[in-house]
Amino acid sequence: MTDVADTTASLIAAIWLRIQPLIEERLATIDQAAAAATAGSLAEELRVEALDVAHKLAGALGMYGYDEGTRVAREIEILLGGSEPDAARLSALIAELREAIFPRS
Amino acid sequence: MRQILIIDDEDDIREVAALSLEATAGWDITTACSGADGIRAAGDPKRRPHAILMDVMMPGMDGPTTFRKMQLIPEIAGIPVLFLTAKVQGVDQRRFAGLGVAGVLFKPFDPLTLASQISEALGWKD
Repeated sequence: MTDVADTTASLIAAIWLRIQPLIEERLATIDQAAAAATAGSLAEELRVEALDVAHKLAGALGMYGYDEGTRVAREIEILLGGSEPDAARLSALIAELREAIFPRS
Repeated sequence: MRQILIIDDEDDIREVAALSLEATAGWDITTACSGADGIRAAGDPKRRPHAILMDVMMPGMDGPTTFRKMQLIPEIAGIPVLFLTAKVQGVDQRRFAGLGVAGVLFKPFDPLTLASQISEALGWKD
């Protein structure tokens, strides 16, 4: 990379580190929606909130180099766009999204 | 030097877009966190932008509504507006293009090529 590209990339990496709490908060909202869907009690307000969060993640993660995160978040957004999202699929996707952003190994 | 106004309610998106355009193209960036703030910023005669990069989905006044209001203000109406959207469905793209914006760019954008995407969309050669 050129100096400009290196500098830009390091500044963006610093922003990524700074927004970790926001990312965790957004993942937690989708976690809540998945848990509620599993329990058969996903309220409309939470579904819409989680849908908004998934949309924001889909639009941002790739900017930080997490293209797979954007792909999975977009799938979650589509799933939550339905009035009764598949709870098992939603739980699987949120696990996939966490792994894409914060791989354990 | 090109002056660009970025309107987006997401703090980090504004920050990444601004730093990428400043660093990779040397452009002068102003930011606004809502449609209403964006209209005020665009109307500032001391910092009138050469182009506006605006998010579509914002709370309160969204991108299309903000754009329509801008078209009613003679001092701002001629400034090219590019929508920035995470929506990838063709129907949305056609709806946005039908409003009369100069172009539609997609989130997530690549910070290293955002400036060249803007230049290409607006036909800027420099």
